[in-house]
Amino acid sequence: MKVDIVIAGVGGQGTMLAARVLGRAACRAGINAIGAELLGLSQRGGSVVSHVRIGDDTYSPVIMEGAADVLLGFEPSEAVRRLPYIAKNGTIIINTNPYIPPSVSMGFAKYPDLNQIFKVLEEHGRLLTLDASRLAAEAGNPITLNSVMLGALAATGKLPFNVEILEESLAMSVAKPLVEPNVKALRLGYNECLNLIAKDK
Amino acid sequence: MPSVILGESGKSDFLMGNEAIARGALEAGVSVATGYPGTPSSEIIDTLLEIAGDFGIYVEWSVNEKVALEIALAASFCWARSLCAMKHVGLNVAHDALVNACYIGARGGFVVVSADDPGAWSSQNEQDNRYIAMQAYMPVFEPSDPQEAKDMIVYAYDFSERLNTPVMLRTVTRVSHATGRVVFGDIVKPERRVYFEKRPDLLIYDSAGARRNRIALIKRFEKVQEAVNNVPFNKMMLNDGSVGVIASGVAYRYVMEALKVLEMKDKVSILKIGTPYPPPRDAIVRFLDAVDSVMVVEEVEPILETLVKSIAYEEDIDVEIRGRSILPRAGELTPRIVLEALSSFLKIDNPLDVDALNKAWNYSNSLPPPRPPTLCPGCPHRASFYSISTVAKRLDRNPKLYGLNQLYGEKTETILPGDIGCYGLAYLPPFKAIDTIICMGAGLGFANGLARLVKQPIIVSVGDSTFLHATIPALINAVYNNSRIVLVVLDNDVTAMTGEQPHPGSSISQEGKRPVKIEDVARGCGVEMVRVVNPGNFEETQKALVDALKHDGPSVIVLRRPCELLRVRERLRKGETSSPYMVLAEKCTGCMICVNQFGCPAIVKAGNKVMIDSSICTGCGDCAGVCVPQAIVRGG
Repeated sequence: MKVDIVIAGVGGQGTMLAARVLGRAACRAGINAIGAELLGLSQRGGSVVSHVRIGDDTYSPVIMEGAADVLLGFEPSEAVRRLPYIAKNGTIIINTNPYIPPSVSMGFAKYPDLNQIFKVLEEHGRLLTLDASRLAAEAGNPITLNSVMLGALAATGKLPFNVEILEESLAMSVAKPLVEPNVKALRLGYNECLNLIAKDK
Repeated sequence: MPSVILGESGKSDFLMGNEAIARGALEAGVSVATGYPGTPSSEIIDTLLEIAGDFGIYVEWSVNEKVALEIALAASFCWARSLCAMKHVGLNVAHDALVNACYIGARGGFVVVSADDPGAWSSQNEQDNRYIAMQAYMPVFEPSDPQEAKDMIVYAYDFSERLNTPVMLRTVTRVSHATGRVVFGDIVKPERRVYFEKRPDLLIYDSAGARRNRIALIKRFEKVQEAVNNVPFNKMMLNDGSVGVIASGVAYRYVMEALKVLEMKDKVSILKIGTPYPPPRDAIVRFLDAVDSVMVVEEVEPILETLVKSIAYEEDIDVEIRGRSILPRAGELTPRIVLEALSSFLKIDNPLDVDALNKAWNYSNSLPPPRPPTLCPGCPHRASFYSISTVAKRLDRNPKLYGLNQLYGEKTETILPGDIGCYGLAYLPPFKAIDTIICMGAGLGFANGLARLVKQPIIVSVGDSTFLHATIPALINAVYNNSRIVLVVLDNDVTAMTGEQPHPGSSISQEGKRPVKIEDVARGCGVEMVRVVNPGNFEETQKALVDALKHDGPSVIVLRRPCELLRVRERLRKGETSSPYMVLAEKCTGCMICVNQFGCPAIVKAGNKVMIDSSICTGCGDCAGVCVPQAIVRGG
């Protein structure tokens, strides 16, 4: 079995750490994992994406277009930017809070209507939306957004290891004072997404 | 949090390619590691520097790649194992030293890591450094993933010592920044007798030395050509069919992925290449004998392809060899590009739903707002470029304003050469205050030429790290020729673009270092007008610029304020919060100068006025200085 995950976001939102936590969790579970950080000029509010591939029979660090099982969007429009990677009938999980770039505030570009984004995403896969920024704040620190999203991913049941292993991996990948809020964020995301899925059915 | 590369032998963890290379260096018992930061190579030295003290390794960020390479060469000559890491274009800077390093040969294992950037994701070009290696008779190892990168570097040190040759480990972005499960081996502490032996026959390059050692180099290389036939990273997988693929580095991974999708894994023979130069001749001959047609897949230039063709010609093997005639010449390879090229080569239908993908790309390209990289909130460069563009615009409109009409007439156009670093982003709106970004140090070199040819004001911008790296000779040249050039050194105390590495001017350098002051260097070079200003002081900065423009000869203005990321991190460490600024709506006139001419991401339009996003405002206060109605104040 394998699961291919594309994590889309904006530099500073912690996509890279999320990818590392997934990869380390796989290692702990004794499962192979590879991936790629497509960094660009990430530090400067640019668009960033991480690819993570968990399981066997994977070769390329970059996922083939049209082959990702899950698209994890830390930002709605960034999920749209990575649409070519999602497989037919893949799962798309997004944080519903836009991160407005200066190109929009300076008036050079427009941020699309959120409903339009949802509609386009729904055309491409099963869409799960959550207010991850709010949950991160609830967990005690807005920078735990990535852990909320990881929790939501775990709730889909697509990961070949349980959420406890993910928690352990998270705990060893962040600085000590940040372990507690991050683990809390992960659980909030997990529960929120479980509820979404239950409602969906 | 312990470094991810320090896992126990036999255990595994999820590492980035560059971290795996750093771990490999530990397992190889490297004593000396040097480099100059540059994407996608920086994490190798970053990671080693973090742990160097615990392992008795000497690690440094050198002033530039050439010096880094010379240090590593000296270490190798004294029997220590040394590593030198840089991005592809960095090797251009070190090229002079590299060529003769290969004449000298290696005593302690000597590995140069060249991190190439196909697709030029964060580089000024797409050069393939295997050409540089070929020119220097330097064997090249090319890993396909992090695990192989680690294993290869350990092997490469033995290879380097056994054959007495420096070795290039060539990675690309998709290996250096790839991630993967890496199984650790034993860490070896560097415990060697290190000493300098006087060997003029190896170290003095008069004509006789050059001629003698070129013969030695060629003989050594013949042994290398033999040895690569036994390198375990070259692997052949023969299948029954008459079609084969030869692939090197990460391209091998794309090929296997594509063959899996095409369900052709068992029908196509594969020759995986780990040493593209010199290539393993025996294996290639056997492979070419076994197939009728073969496709060569590799990153950037058709180097392996050309070598394979020449082997086929020399051995008189009748085989069709394809490669870049099917694959695009420009840009990096992707799994999809390789899949489509292979389906064309294998004459089978493309299994991808191209219409669906085109539709998705259409959304991807049209719907999301562009996120070009921008200077961070609080970046001192924003203040600097606000002043530079303000002064340049005034001067262009009316040189008389500064008493420069004798020189420049009624109207002029200031030329603004730039350089490599975060500040290069000032070529974009709202500043458009950079006219050139060519290569490290080229801004001032180019300006030296302009100053002799055109009668226009010239203000060059260069970062502190780039100034020390490659700009000093150009400054000496400008002094010698008394060229009228204003050189603005944007001194933010670090090499910021690549992740805040220290440089020889940094006050954040480790203990035992003696930071060099840029103004001292400028004065020492003979510059008569040198000024140091905090760019947050707009009035003083603009006055300094005007004084410099009036100065007959080269002038240097150091605009000094630390990178805001350093300040933010320092605050986080101390548990302090920033105190963001806010806009007094009743005073804001909606002139939009702060949005359209200053462009801080924290300032956003709110109706016909502006507001400050307190979640990203770092509290630098620069915007208060550009607000004419003084509507921006520190928040409560």
